Amino acid sequence: MYLLCKWMTKMRSNRLKIVFMLCLAFVTTGGQHFESKVAQLLQDETEHIKCFVEGKDLTCFWEEEEERNHIHDQYTFTYSYEKKNKMACAVSSLYLLASNKTILFCKLPKTPFFTTLDVQVLRDGRMLYTRSLNAENVLFLDPPRNLTVMSSGKEGQLNVSWLPPLLKYMDDSMIYEVRYAVDGSNMGKVEVIKVSTRLVLLGLQSNTRYKVWVRVKPDGVAYKGYWSAWTEPVFGVTPPSDVDPLIVLLVIFIGLILCLLSLTVILSHHKFLLKKLWPDIPTPEHKFPGLFTVYKGDFKEWMSHNNGSMWGRSVPVYTEELPSPLEVLSEVSLTSHGTSQREERKPVEEDEEKESERSDSGLTDRWRDPPHAHWLMEQLRALQENPESRSQSSLLQSHDTYVTLNQGDNEQQVDDVFEETLPLQTLFTTAGTSSLGTSHSDLGSLQQSSGSGRLSSQSSFEYPNHTWPPKGPGYAYMAVADSGVSMDYSPMSSSRIAELGKHRMYTNDYKNEIFPHKWPLSGQYIKSG
Amino acid sequence: MQTFTGLVSVLLVFLWLGGNLVSPLRPICDLRVLDHFVREARDSEVIMRGCRGGCGAMKSYFVPLTSVDFAVLEHMDVNGQAVEVQTGLSLLDQALSNAMKTVSNSPLANALDNNISNIHSLGQILHSLDLQARSTVLPDDSAPASTQTQEVSSLPELLQVQSSFLRGKVRLLLSAAPACQRQNS
Repeated sequence: MYLLCKWMTKMRSNRLKIVFMLCLAFVTTGGQHFESKVAQLLQDETEHIKCFVEGKDLTCFWEEEEERNHIHDQYTFTYSYEKKNKMACAVSSLYLLASNKTILFCKLPKTPFFTTLDVQVLRDGRMLYTRSLNAENVLFLDPPRNLTVMSSGKEGQLNVSWLPPLLKYMDDSMIYEVRYAVDGSNMGKVEVIKVSTRLVLLGLQSNTRYKVWVRVKPDGVAYKGYWSAWTEPVFGVTPPSDVDPLIVLLVIFIGLILCLLSLTVILSHHKFLLKKLWPDIPTPEHKFPGLFTVYKGDFKEWMSHNNGSMWGRSVPVYTEELPSPLEVLSEVSLTSHGTSQREERKPVEEDEEKESERSDSGLTDRWRDPPHAHWLMEQLRALQENPESRSQSSLLQSHDTYVTLNQGDNEQQVDDVFEETLPLQTLFTTAGTSSLGTSHSDLGSLQQSSGSGRLSSQSSFEYPNHTWPPKGPGYAYMAVADSGVSMDYSPMSSSRIAELGKHRMYTNDYKNEIFPHKWPLSGQYIKSG
Repeated sequence: MQTFTGLVSVLLVFLWLGGNLVSPLRPICDLRVLDHFVREARDSEVIMRGCRGGCGAMKSYFVPLTSVDFAVLEHMDVNGQAVEVQTGLSLLDQALSNAMKTVSNSPLANALDNNISNIHSLGQILHSLDLQARSTVLPDDSAPASTQTQEVSSLPELLQVQSSFLRGKVRLLLSAAPACQRQNS
């Protein structure tokens, strides 16, 4: 502006005052933002004739070509609208210091809005540039005024307010853009707001200094235009976070108390908790004292040292059965050979091999005399019919334990007996009652199992003072004892025997339940233990 | 006597209703309604630019002047503006109706129909603001162009005039309407 004025004063010295006045007019009416707007449009606008409306007036300018030395008098600017005659406009020039360029411009005295303007630039009478535009579409507004930023009192909020640029008729057609950033940071956010000149910024950091800018533009419905320049930044500080320090202290204090309590609980019950959280892996060590500590897990060693004490307690006996002599009336052998056997009242300590030999021989002898069995069976039947003969289980009474064989359910038991592989087993499984009657079934079984050929050697039937009929002594006599670690002799009473007759049970209590199924050898009749 | 009083009461009722009917409407001061019409006028221009075939014959239309001089406007009274606006709206209504007869392209025809109904609505708005001109003399198509009118020779120009007219004179009138000024103040 100043350069222009200087130049004009030089050229037309006699119109100094007029020119000076014009210069003043340009400066005052052109506005502070004129040059900045021109500079801005010089960059952004692509048309040769760049026009904008500032206030109520349209200004059109174009860039002067550098090689030209002549100034504005060669240029002519004309405009027309609504098919009226063309009108001329005075051309002026302006040198822009910032961009080192000279522009020529024309400001229309009475700008018609809402109609199509046809503008032309003529140079030396020849058309240079032409353009058709509507004035209401090229509004270039001034920045908003009186921007203020205040704290709203709430955390992370700022109240922003401003005034629209001085422009009549367009207050309700404006759109604003608010830019804000933390002071010192280049990262800013933008909020767009229509018509209203107030905005509350949300989501800000507490106790932080913010910079705020605002700019304006027509909303594009009735009027269109360019974004105005940003206002000068205004600073505002957000309020600090409203966390009460007392609450913070209380929270910390309660937290400490809770920690102490939990520590106390953990320390006092740490063993219990440890057991629950990290339980011990169970080991059988307590059942095998010294196995892992003394003998280093050598079970054989440990067994050899702890044999006696261990087995008597809980481990069931397997290798040896509890001995009890079993007197069984087997098939009658009427030979003398058998008689000698009969009279034996063998304690359990008798040598079993010897017996077995004898029994075997006796057996063979006996088997040769099946007819004699018939007599014996009759004897048994007689006994059976006469229950008092049971009292003569004093016959059976001995120092040895006897298993009485039942006479009931003969048929079934015979079948059961046959299922047994070992002859003695057959004798054992039959329920015990007193008397020979039981042995009757056994006799039967013995008879039938003659095929096995391994019938038990001896069955003894003892009559203390009783004599067999002369023919009679052919019955086999067998004392059977269960093998076992220890011997258990118990004199048997008649009542006991009677009980036995009723209950299917062994006279001696075996803990070894597998015993009947695993009677190892038939020859092992009596074992002294 | 009873029939007479009954008749009188009935008449009174009718008068009261009639009075209510002729009472002024509530003023429509929200300019967003006009903005809506302006947008639809602009949509017609867009459709016109994209129209290929059946887009109306070359015909001359008499349309209002749309230019606004703010300096002049400040000195013009509202009623004068109202007359100008009303006349212009009538002219546009006629021109658009004539144009629609020559248009076979359906989107364009629909847009034009929309614009015509908008102009009618504007008349109602002006009526609500008590700005309706009392007398409007509508020049026919064959009349020479008056100072208040101009002649355009194509439909695109017509649509442009419509858009400018609505954005300029009509809007300024509505924003300056005394009924709305009273509400704001």
